[in-house]
Amino acid sequence: MTKFLTQENVHAEFHSTIEKTKDKRMKFIFPLVIFTALSLTGFGQRYKSSLFGIKDDGITLNTTSIQRAIDYIHENGGGVLEFYVGRYLTGTIELKSNVTLHLYEGAVLVGSPNIYDYNINSPYTALVYANKAENIAVMGKGLLDGQGRTVAYNLVDQIQKGLLKDDLKYDRATTRRPSVVYFRECKNALVKGIQVRNSAFWVQIYDQCNGLVIDSTTVHSEAYWNNDGMDIVDCKNVTITNNYVNASDDAICFKSHDPNQVGENVEVRNNVMRSSANGIKFGTVSRGNYRNFKIVNNTVYDTYRSALALTAPDGGIIEDIWVDSLYAYNTGNAIYLRNGDRWGADRGPGEIRNITIQNVYAEVAATKPDTAYEYEGPIEDLPRNISPSGIVGIPGHPITGITLRNIKIIYPGGGNPHYAYRGTKPEDLDSIPVMLSAYPEFSQFKELPAWAFYIRYAHDVTLENVQFVARNRDYRPAVVVQESKNILLRQVKYIEPGGKKKQLFTYKSSDVKTAP
Amino acid sequence: MFRIWILTVVVYFGFFPSSEAKDYNASLFGIKSDGITLNTGSIQKAVDFISEQGGGRLMFYVGRYLTGTVILKSNVTIHLEEGAVLVGVPVIYDYFHNGDFVSILYGENLENVSVTGKGVIMGNGNALLAAITEQVKNGYIQKATSSVAPGLIQLKDCKNVLLSGVILRSSLGEAIRLDKNTGITMKGITIENAGLPGAGLLLAGNSSLVVADSYFHTSGKEIIYAGKNQDVRIENTKNSTGRKLK
Amino acid sequence: MRKIQWIITGLLVCLSTGFALAKDYDAHTFGVRGDGITVNTASIQYAIDYISGHGGGRLVFTVGTYRTGSIYLKSDVTLHIEPGATLMSTTNPFDFVKDKDVNWMAMIFAKHQTNVGITGKGVIDGRGFETANNMTNYIQRGVFADSLLWDRAREPNRPQNIYFRECKNVTIKDITLKDPAGWNQTYDQCVNILVDGIKVDAKSYWNNDGIDIVDCDSVVIRNSYFDAADDVICFKSHDATKICQNILVENCVGRSSANGLKFGTVSRGGFKNVVARNLTFFDTYRSAITFAAADGGTVENIVVDGVRAVNTGNAIYLRIADRWSKGKQPVMKDIIIKNVYVEIPAGKPDAGYPYEGPVEDLPRNISPSGIVGLPGHPIENVTLENIELVYPGGGDPFYAKVGLTPEELDGIPEMPQSYPEFSQFKELPAWGFYIRHADGIKFKNVILRAEKKDYRAAIVLDDVKNASFSEMKIEEPGKEKDDLKDKIFPYKSENISIK
Repeated sequence: MTKFLTQENVHAEFHSTIEKTKDKRMKFIFPLVIFTALSLTGFGQRYKSSLFGIKDDGITLNTTSIQRAIDYIHENGGGVLEFYVGRYLTGTIELKSNVTLHLYEGAVLVGSPNIYDYNINSPYTALVYANKAENIAVMGKGLLDGQGRTVAYNLVDQIQKGLLKDDLKYDRATTRRPSVVYFRECKNALVKGIQVRNSAFWVQIYDQCNGLVIDSTTVHSEAYWNNDGMDIVDCKNVTITNNYVNASDDAICFKSHDPNQVGENVEVRNNVMRSSANGIKFGTVSRGNYRNFKIVNNTVYDTYRSALALTAPDGGIIEDIWVDSLYAYNTGNAIYLRNGDRWGADRGPGEIRNITIQNVYAEVAATKPDTAYEYEGPIEDLPRNISPSGIVGIPGHPITGITLRNIKIIYPGGGNPHYAYRGTKPEDLDSIPVMLSAYPEFSQFKELPAWAFYIRYAHDVTLENVQFVARNRDYRPAVVVQESKNILLRQVKYIEPGGKKKQLFTYKSSDVKTAP
Repeated sequence: MFRIWILTVVVYFGFFPSSEAKDYNASLFGIKSDGITLNTGSIQKAVDFISEQGGGRLMFYVGRYLTGTVILKSNVTIHLEEGAVLVGVPVIYDYFHNGDFVSILYGENLENVSVTGKGVIMGNGNALLAAITEQVKNGYIQKATSSVAPGLIQLKDCKNVLLSGVILRSSLGEAIRLDKNTGITMKGITIENAGLPGAGLLLAGNSSLVVADSYFHTSGKEIIYAGKNQDVRIENTKNSTGRKLK
Repeated sequence: MRKIQWIITGLLVCLSTGFALAKDYDAHTFGVRGDGITVNTASIQYAIDYISGHGGGRLVFTVGTYRTGSIYLKSDVTLHIEPGATLMSTTNPFDFVKDKDVNWMAMIFAKHQTNVGITGKGVIDGRGFETANNMTNYIQRGVFADSLLWDRAREPNRPQNIYFRECKNVTIKDITLKDPAGWNQTYDQCVNILVDGIKVDAKSYWNNDGIDIVDCDSVVIRNSYFDAADDVICFKSHDATKICQNILVENCVGRSSANGLKFGTVSRGGFKNVVARNLTFFDTYRSAITFAAADGGTVENIVVDGVRAVNTGNAIYLRIADRWSKGKQPVMKDIIIKNVYVEIPAGKPDAGYPYEGPVEDLPRNISPSGIVGLPGHPIENVTLENIELVYPGGGDPFYAKVGLTPEELDGIPEMPQSYPEFSQFKELPAWGFYIRHADGIKFKNVILRAEKKDYRAAIVLDDVKNASFSEMKIEEPGKEKDDLKDKIFPYKSENISIK
């Protein structure tokens, strides 16, 4: 009798495992970062916004007064600019070194609906941006509201009238859509306690920052297309803790825009998120490398795509990633690992290696998990039955060194071969496209031949103490291993109603071993 | 030589699609993809405008477009790119009733009507049924629900109809109803309507109809023939149990 | 005048009989949602049609925000909007119908209906600024045809809150009308209208009138409050074969960036049998009381009794013009204006309000009140009684000057084709009253007070016959001689008696 039958057992198992598997390879400097960032905000003179003539009526456009306030505080040794309850309408403001914006409960920094009130000619278009600043913070219980939907519509209006040029890919502006927060090359940045919402684009971007703490924030990012919850791009020494993220695009997303940069030393702990795309995602843009990430005790729910997606199509290498205690409820897919050969140029294809994922419980939905949320994910890649989790490399660049331990994934099953069919005959499997340069997505291959896990072009993969449950009979086997080698399945269990069937199918693979 | 001559004549008389196939983005008309803005008025304005300009495609890109009945016009193509979903509003009064015709896309006496792309038309059937049931209970709708159940695409007395690629989901009435049309091509249509009473395709008095490479998954009948249909070919089209449809 | 009183009494009796007891329908039962997002146009329309077809009644909106586009009210149906309930525009111009008969857009239409009403202490909110701007955007994109007048969508392409045409027995009671995209509420060729206890807050866009009554018969407007960017209480006559008549306006308060009580500008048929009493205006940019016979119409049998206006740009302006008359002879006669007190400021009375009136017709010193006909079309039989007008005075001849020489007086243009407005002549030679082309003018107990010395005469008469001034008081500081005859300057006039 397996002890994995209930969720409680799974959780109990996690906690004992966490203690046993403390990773000693990682040398984090987070506590230091937190200390410096927090102590910084405690000091410095405090300035009330009214001192600078900043108006709280929601009508007065405060851009220049807020900017003057920040500049003044910056020039006078730093300090805190305080906003009390009220609505502060503003366009782009630039945060400068040693300045903290403190938004008290009820204070709302409201983004101007006018696109021309933003720094649209800057690469860092946002409501609040900072460039090469040090010791900056946005904190308090107040709110940053980008009014993103209105801003985006007004931008489209300017484009439709021919005043701004944009090719309107997917009928939406491709550039100039402001984020709410954009910090570029900043050192010691803190975002704490605030609520961030309604962006016309990714809601917050931290790009090539060193020393970043995002703690206890609430993110509501459902206003418009590409509403990621937070994008951490090529950053070092980052902690993301205790946040709630509701996003219509990826919730917590690690990107790399620069092939010469490395995103490293990142801890993601105790966050709850839901997304109409992926929960925790690496990529899609992944030009540089990622290493030494620790992703612990996170919950993903009502999420349209994968709870965890590691994608490396652009030449970057994703390595040394530690994922522990991930809970996913009502999600479209559990885990998806995928490299590719898209924008890597001279670097060639991306790589994924040395990944440990353990203590995962996931329930994959039969219906669309993000139904009735604003800006639902698109219905696409049809026809296909429910897609399996996947580790899918590319020829010559297999995904290597993957350990999945203590995992339970519950699937709806019920794949109907008349709707969409991919059998296990050689011609069926060989017909699955390689899609070297396609956008990586768990559903990209349309119908796949497995209901639980599909492994292709992967080396050195271990599945240990893993359980796959199908609620309904499926025409496919649970696991297909294709063109891979050195795959170990230890204590892997399949539960599917309707009698015994062959659940593991291997094709053109070597050293595929199972162990009790 | 003969062929060239024909082409010249065609170009000369302007039959050749010179003003044809202009694409109009939905956003030009302020149509919103947020899933909560009711776009009926704006989509209708777009269709009317494109028709007045001599025809073209109304392009919907990835997103959810809430709407009630839109009345189609000649030479206008509703093109749903992959990921675009036309969502029926779950309010019965937002649907235009013409006798027993009622649907999201409705056309009558038209030429060159097309609905294309890999997108979805979603009827919101369960929510709509609940709304209708409530109105019947309140006594404001007298008829039985079945006779006012909106479908997704209904065309009457149209010529040269193309329905291609789209996925039709959760329709309360028949997903597609075609009455007395001539020259209809349906290609690669997916109807997923399990759990709702509506049939897949209702055909009445049409001539010259091809249905090819399609998949119908319905609780009711997949195809209902009514009246006399002439020259109907159903090719490579099956239901959820794999049975070839005729 | 007794005839008018009789008509008004009849009117009141007629309106007070009202409706029979009608059934109430909660809008929610039709699936109408007050969530502020759902666009309810179709459901509300179905509800109205249903109620009208089932013996009539009230469609009741309880607390909530109900978004809608154009709806048509039908016979025996009242929209009852409870306190806390708002009927609100979707702001999408494509949700609004441009009605083919009236050639105008509106949120609530009624055409050829009987016993219709809008009642309750709720709000109708046109979100006009957004709606109008959205419309301008579509015009700029080229998907809506409009040539843009003064860089704005033309008036018919901006939805009004209410447009009733040829309806009978109309009740508009208690509601608040807010922010239309153009005109606010128009009642056109309707019979038996009661407007009672409404509030208007209409200053969200250009042409935001308070209320427009066009060619109607038997109208009562009372106990209402108006704050409007354009004219407040405005009677018009669009049809040369119709007339706006049998009207009672009473107990109203208004604020305007145009005029307070206005008859015209469009005045093809005319206005007859009007009683306006107990009106208050403040912070109003143009005239408190103004009548125009500009388009060949007849204005007659008018009694204005009891108007108090403070911080208002002008007191009284009566004007005959010849704009769109098409051969019809404009007439203005038999007008009594009494018990009026107006304070005119030196500055701009509507400064700081949204959509302030335009600064125009400069240079001019503070303009006087006016009674200005046309050659051959005098304004006849006007009585002003118990009037007190307080002017700032201080007219500065170096800024603008029109003196009393024949050349200067004859140099004032007639402007028969112009839009009639108290400021249209720019500088005038009087600070109190300028009267031209009139016959039968009676001033009794009229006090004109200038707070500062003015270079102009108090009253100038030009081509006036049969005028009498009795019990007059004209006060102006710094005048050496305090003789009425020096303050009233007749020119080309006959039979003028000054007592």
